[in-house]
Amino acid sequence: MTTDSHGSSRGPEPVAADHDAHAYDGIIEHDNKLPLWWQLTLYGAIVFAMVYWFGRRLDAIETPLQAYTREVAVQRAADAEEARKRGTIDDAMLATLGKDPATIAQGKAVFTATCAPCHRADAGGNIGPNLTDPYWLHGSKPVDIFHTVHDGVPAKGMPTWGPQLGEDRVETVVAYVLSIRDANVAGGKAPQGALEE
Amino acid sequence: MTAAADFPGSLAAAPGDFETRRIVYNDSISRWFVGASVVWGLVGMLVGALVALQLAWWHANLPPYFTYGRLRPLHTNAVIFAFVGNMMFAGIYYSTQRLVKARLPSDLLAKIHFWGWQAIIVSAAITLPLGITQGKEYAELEWPIDLAITAIWIVFAVQFFWTLARRTEKHLYVAIWFYIATILTVAVLHVVNSLAIPVFGFKSYSLFGGAKDALVQWWYGHNAVAFVLTTPILGIMYYFLPKAADRPVYSYRLSVVHFWSLIFVYIWAGPHHLLNTALPDWAQTLGTAFSVMLWAPSWGGMLNGLLTLKGAWGKVRTDPVLKFFVAALTFYGMATFEGPLLSFKSVNGLAHYTDWIIAHVHAGALGWNGLMAAGMFYWMVPRLYGRDLWSKKLADAHFWIGTFGILLYVISMWTSGITQGLMWRATDAHGALEYPNFVETLNAIRPMYWMRLIGGSMYLIGMFMMAYNLARTALAGKAVDGEATVVVERVVARETPWAEILFGKPVILVTTVTILIATMAVVNNEASLVLSSIVIVVAVLGTTALHLAVDRSRPRWHRLLEGRALLFSSLTIIAVLAGGVAELVPTLLVTPNDPQILAEARPYRALELEGRDIYVREGCYNCHSQMIRPFAFETKRYGDPSTLAESIYDHPFQWGSKRTGPDLAREGDKYPNVWHYRHLVDARSVSPGSNMPPFPRLVTDTVNLARTATKMHALQSIGVPYDDRQIAAARSDAEAQGAEIAKNLRDDGVAEVDAQSEIVALIAYLQRLGKHPPPARGPDVALTP
Repeated sequence: MTTDSHGSSRGPEPVAADHDAHAYDGIIEHDNKLPLWWQLTLYGAIVFAMVYWFGRRLDAIETPLQAYTREVAVQRAADAEEARKRGTIDDAMLATLGKDPATIAQGKAVFTATCAPCHRADAGGNIGPNLTDPYWLHGSKPVDIFHTVHDGVPAKGMPTWGPQLGEDRVETVVAYVLSIRDANVAGGKAPQGALEE
Repeated sequence: MTAAADFPGSLAAAPGDFETRRIVYNDSISRWFVGASVVWGLVGMLVGALVALQLAWWHANLPPYFTYGRLRPLHTNAVIFAFVGNMMFAGIYYSTQRLVKARLPSDLLAKIHFWGWQAIIVSAAITLPLGITQGKEYAELEWPIDLAITAIWIVFAVQFFWTLARRTEKHLYVAIWFYIATILTVAVLHVVNSLAIPVFGFKSYSLFGGAKDALVQWWYGHNAVAFVLTTPILGIMYYFLPKAADRPVYSYRLSVVHFWSLIFVYIWAGPHHLLNTALPDWAQTLGTAFSVMLWAPSWGGMLNGLLTLKGAWGKVRTDPVLKFFVAALTFYGMATFEGPLLSFKSVNGLAHYTDWIIAHVHAGALGWNGLMAAGMFYWMVPRLYGRDLWSKKLADAHFWIGTFGILLYVISMWTSGITQGLMWRATDAHGALEYPNFVETLNAIRPMYWMRLIGGSMYLIGMFMMAYNLARTALAGKAVDGEATVVVERVVARETPWAEILFGKPVILVTTVTILIATMAVVNNEASLVLSSIVIVVAVLGTTALHLAVDRSRPRWHRLLEGRALLFSSLTIIAVLAGGVAELVPTLLVTPNDPQILAEARPYRALELEGRDIYVREGCYNCHSQMIRPFAFETKRYGDPSTLAESIYDHPFQWGSKRTGPDLAREGDKYPNVWHYRHLVDARSVSPGSNMPPFPRLVTDTVNLARTATKMHALQSIGVPYDDRQIAAARSDAEAQGAEIAKNLRDDGVAEVDAQSEIVALIAYLQRLGKHPPPARGPDVALTP
């Protein structure tokens, strides 16, 4: 077994610098220096680990939960500002949206993706009630419908869609539901709730 | 093989003191293990291709036995413990005998080891599709099989250490160090993580619950990767790569440094699987810190391998064996860079629960393990059968199709993971989720699922080519056992006393630094800053002093240690245990005493518990997490961040590690019972586009309520606060809750529903998730003492 002849400092040294030869089943062991960049990676990582550990111990680095709590507070403030700007959600405003074809089209798309599995694609009802008949379980005023969608009725199986869909999408869905009101689609689910004209 | 010429340690002795001995190695054990590895490799990867198909095309689920939730554990167990396990035994037995110049002492133990291990694999292949599982990833096998694994591992350890005791080569080569670390650590990991209370013949509950179970599981899961998929394979690399290249190993001192740093650091990094979860923050911080420190030690192995090829790169072009080794080391380097990267909480926030992690583990398993196995087999089988490889061309073809297959696999899963991760977190200007419907994010990555299937299948074709090539080689040759002649010194030279080695300067230095760091972790913050400067000074000065004090005329401390197998093993186990003890002991002892957590927590009602067992049996945790992380985009979709209290009585914990479907931590009361009923029978009926397997048998199969009380009793004995009255009322409470749900289902239009059917129990469990039931529900079913 011979070693490379070029004599640069990076080349292999001639066999282990120990007092016995390192050879095992014909495998010779050289004893080259550790590459400098590798050592820097090793020591650099150790320094990072210590800085990171103390950063946490001394509360200089936030935990994920702390960051989340901070973000949520900021988001709440922004939401309040947003709500103030757009004014209160009331029947008149929702009723207006319910006549706007663009909003209704958006609402239909959301309805198809989110609501259709339980209320049927044509809103005739399946797991959830028929939305095209004049009978309503949780009120039929636009604001009632908004709250039913936004906050849900967990006891009755209506999920809380507000956080997941966001207020804008909920409004479009309400617009769509208002637009198909009393459409009485064929083969709809039997009436549930109170008759509301 | 003429070892006499290489035999060291004989410089000073006179000619008369030597005895020449002839050794014939036990190579048949390696032949068997190679065969088993190839066969199980094919099986494991075929199942892999099937589960990949199931994700892309749900029709490939064949309930009840061959659904994704039951087959995915079979795939992972087969590849890790059957394919890599058998490969590692083949390589360890082959190389150890040659490196220490001693035959395996017992042919009987070798046979027990081989057949015992195959029996365990067969029992896994039977029990997992039957739904018999402990519900912990890579540790799914139930307690009787766990006991068998322990017994067979002891057989392996006895054989191995007995061989070391009979060695005629004084010093242990670096490969042997890695084997020692493997055998000792896997034993500890397996025993601790499998601790469970048996309830029936094939049913047990993990001894640990909630966050404790999570920490133990990922201490195990992470280090199974370390000590089954990494350390033994590095040892194998250290033997077979220089052999195949016929080049000297690049650096002995790099071996020393990266071996000790790797085994010490690896153990601590387990919590990086639980970043941003409810796990206490100090453990998460340790997980990140140690994962970053793991980068250089891992790359030390890659470097020592690649630099050994210096001057042999010409050979790499022509020799398929070296091609496989080089590609394997490259994938190893890639995966061990990706690991620390994924351990940063911010990167992890994007990647966790997505296919990015699937890409990462397959770069390791297919790239590093699979290609190392192929290289080793192509080198070893011709030697085991005394003839050349049947077709070098076919091996080359295997290399290219396999490598291309992995790249396709990994790239498609990176794309899939990052795409879905970004879609989950995408919000519009008002902070609303851009993709509120989970299925939308699944449909976006579906093409990637097909790409993955193609890539994985190409790799599998390569495996078949290898199996054929190796079989032709073996059939054309005949079994040959390796031989060696060794020269043994008759008079054993006086040894350095063990105390001198055990209390050597490096040990004293490392111990001092460790004690200082440990003190630092428990004292107050200001003092710990002072201590940390002391640590740095002591470490730097100590290292320098050690360096200067080296007496070139005497063997160095580590060289002496290499001559002493028992001492070496003792120091190895200490280095390995340090991290485990530091992380597990505080968690196991301190966390359960937190009164606030205990005050909030409530155990499951009888039927909910039965439902939970069905959830575990069906392997729902393979696709659904129960751990909401504190991110705004995540809480909008799933609800408030999960707390420790919510899962404290979960034996085993079900936090999960992947979201092929949505998180279920707060699933309770989200949808009506009838929605769950239809969703479980066929998810498409209420969630169009879903790829969830159908579970029609849940409707017809019933829960055996006669066993519920026994289960509750078992849980009571490991700390779940059921009182005797509740256990006595288990059956009536379960029947009452079942009747209530069944009535509700009938009211909502489900024609026939049995109150004791499994689907009712599972719905009871799902509706309980994230809900704390009121303290009492009438005299018979009181939930609080």
